[in-house]
Amino acid sequence: MAKSTYYIPVGPIHPALKEPIRVEAEVEGEKIVKVDVKRGFAHRGIEYMGMKRNAIQTLYLSERICGICSISHPYAFVITAEKALGIEAPPRAQYIRTIIAELERIHSHILWLGVIAHEMGFDTLLFWTWKGREKVLDLLEFITGNRINYSMYMIGGARRDLKEKHIRAIKDAIDYYWKFTEHMKEIFLSDPVYKARTRNVAKVSKDIALKLNLVGPIARAAGIRMDVRQDMPYDAYADIDVRAVVPQDIVGEVYGDAYDVTMVRIYEIEQSLDIIEYCVDNLPEGKILAIPNYVALLAKIRRTKGEAIGAHEAPRGEVIHYLKFDGRDGPSVWKVIAPSYNNINSWGPLLIGAEVADIPIVVAYIDPCMCCNDRVAVVKTKDGNELGYTEIRKKCLEKTEKIRRELK
Amino acid sequence: MTPETIFYSVAFPLLGVFLGLVYKGIDRRISARLTSRIGPPIRQPFWDVGKLLLKETIVPKNAIAWLFNAMPILAFASSLTLLLYIPFGVLKAPLEGYGDLVVILYLLTLQSLAMAIGGFASGSPFSSVGAQREMVLMMSYEMPLATVIVGFALIYRSFSLTTIASTPVWSIVSPLAAFGVLLLFVALLTVTPAELAKLPFDIAEAETEIAEGMLAEYSGRNLALFYLSDAVRGFAMAAIEVVLFFPFTLSSILGLSLTGFALYAVEALWFLLKVLIIYLLAVTLVRTSFGRFKIDQASRIFWVHVNLVALLGLALIWVGV
Amino acid sequence: MPTKVMFLILKQLLEKPFTNPFPVKHAPKNVTELIEKVQKGEVQINPPVPVPEGFRGKLHYDPERCIGCRLCIMVCPADAMEWVPELKKIRHYVSRCMFCALCVDVCPGKKFPGEEKAVKALSMSEEFLLADYDKYSDNLIEEPPEAKEKGI
Repeated sequence: MAKSTYYIPVGPIHPALKEPIRVEAEVEGEKIVKVDVKRGFAHRGIEYMGMKRNAIQTLYLSERICGICSISHPYAFVITAEKALGIEAPPRAQYIRTIIAELERIHSHILWLGVIAHEMGFDTLLFWTWKGREKVLDLLEFITGNRINYSMYMIGGARRDLKEKHIRAIKDAIDYYWKFTEHMKEIFLSDPVYKARTRNVAKVSKDIALKLNLVGPIARAAGIRMDVRQDMPYDAYADIDVRAVVPQDIVGEVYGDAYDVTMVRIYEIEQSLDIIEYCVDNLPEGKILAIPNYVALLAKIRRTKGEAIGAHEAPRGEVIHYLKFDGRDGPSVWKVIAPSYNNINSWGPLLIGAEVADIPIVVAYIDPCMCCNDRVAVVKTKDGNELGYTEIRKKCLEKTEKIRRELK
Repeated sequence: MTPETIFYSVAFPLLGVFLGLVYKGIDRRISARLTSRIGPPIRQPFWDVGKLLLKETIVPKNAIAWLFNAMPILAFASSLTLLLYIPFGVLKAPLEGYGDLVVILYLLTLQSLAMAIGGFASGSPFSSVGAQREMVLMMSYEMPLATVIVGFALIYRSFSLTTIASTPVWSIVSPLAAFGVLLLFVALLTVTPAELAKLPFDIAEAETEIAEGMLAEYSGRNLALFYLSDAVRGFAMAAIEVVLFFPFTLSSILGLSLTGFALYAVEALWFLLKVLIIYLLAVTLVRTSFGRFKIDQASRIFWVHVNLVALLGLALIWVGV
Repeated sequence: MPTKVMFLILKQLLEKPFTNPFPVKHAPKNVTELIEKVQKGEVQINPPVPVPEGFRGKLHYDPERCIGCRLCIMVCPADAMEWVPELKKIRHYVSRCMFCALCVDVCPGKKFPGEEKAVKALSMSEEFLLADYDKYSDNLIEEPPEAKEKGI
């Protein structure tokens, strides 16, 4: 029998991918029969770097984990560090942090809408959505000093205060985005080509979503009411009753496909606008840093011992940071779990039985961030052999045992 | 063969290539403005071709080299031949009397076929998927295209393009058949982006899915030839639509009585304007306002919807004539 | 089939393009010549997009105000600061800088006689066009002038 299948390599460099990852698909005609996802192309050893620096340096290093979630990682980091160190940020700083995080959610969701449109060849929508995104980037530049990598957070507060002119600019932008989101709803959700390309593509059922541990908008689109802001509220979210946006609340039925993800993301932009409006109207007065002097802060970190796990709902899903301080001025253990790590697991099951044309949609619908999730490097022994799975697992168990012994 | 024919057979392809590239430039510019961008200068396609011609032509190791290299030439040659069948305003087509609409249909198919074979010969999985898609797409849109041509054959009892161009189709049919012709026009407009491999039917070259598909392995001179044949095909396709549906001359509309050179010049410019309008409507506007369909969706659109429209048009013509 | 996108793009056709234009329309053959012409006022260029107040651009270092406390070296996440022990001042490599402005926050600065408040030695300027072929070019290293003279 002649060979009827052949093999299509997608990545590490491919027009559908914005960052390196490899999807190996075996194709029969247009149908994918076998798929393998290989990751680990963007590993930078950033956690190790963080464990060699002091906490303030590591906070800014965490901002460089991801370019788009450039506030999500610091947010998770400061929440974790504050928990571990027993510092509480002043209320005003908490509100400012929430405003910045929600502004980032708006720009990240609009970015995703443009990217998914580009993946289906709809460049007009890419240009149009990104044109609308400029406003929030300009606003963030006005508030924080840069369009991306805001350098706004500090353990125990925020570094820049919101002045009257900033608040006026935020209110302007909110008005603009109420209109723009309404417009986006009309265009995206009614477009026939968009609907044809996303309906029933990348369809995740509630079962699979729970089994694969999917997070963020993907899980919510599958009908699971999960949101860190709702389940474990922190900062200003504790004062606001944030409810997870799920498709059954919007249209009454759940498909869990890329179309539902689009819907969830667009409605989350509106939710963010609501949150920002609340925060701006109820912004408490007061100072913005618990310990304004960085030297004193570092001294406190050196004095304190403790560990904590903290989470933040990033635009892509939950970001979890683990930190352990024991006598150094920086973390002695720093562990980052990014949402894409869980969500990439859905590619395999979703791609089997799909068409080649669906690869870009399935790849992009989770808004993957490779540099967020690549946390393992291939370990080689001195004579150049790669360590196999069993050996690495053995070493992991050994290390876990070691940590467990230390804790006792 | 007279010296005049030889002059035409050299001048027409040159003019066709020039116009094809100019129209491509205008298309890119307008498309950019439609999406709030500035866009490249109109002479950009010329620079692109010039640059491609200077670049090294790479033949992949596992490609069938002779087939791989021959297909761009075949595609370019067939697109140039296509030009020779198009009456240019009031000028007669240089190859008048040597072929007709059916030949045009086959020349259009030949180019797509050449690209598909080139894709299969390049030995890359992306190209293979692209070529497969192109074959499927071709099978889907050939039927409406053939229906349109049969419709015209029914009206004129002839396949000759010059005959069709000399008498506007609307003037010789009954109102019922005129509606049928309108339906055929709609069908042909829908086929145009597929024929030219433009969005929403650029499935065979889908950039984000299969990395330009059939063209993935082409570079340098070979790619330049495909680029040129694509440009010429775009112009020719719009020109055919103008000849079939809007052959009105400016002098007949305004009642001018021009003679000699003035007549030719005015009519040629009028013809180019008509082609430009059709090009912008059928290619630029459509490719900017749609995303890419999947291959099965595109097939369904052509087999069910467009075919239905075309066959209905044909039936109306059959009844009306 | 007219869709909503079609109306959207036809509306955009009538609007001005959103793109920020390049300084000049075509790449000049000779950049220095162009700059000279611009300075003489012979050629008009499209101005760069203005930056807002509080923008974090290239770090500006004023060695006169530097007291040599080394706090900036301590907080810099990118290790962009180098201690110059001979002068008790710092040297800053812009090519390593990540523009977080932490050093500006910690800098105590120095009070000259007759001044009411101390002025910081480090400040963020509005300069952001920093592309260069050489990461050690003069534009990308901020250091006390003596350091260059003495070749430290």
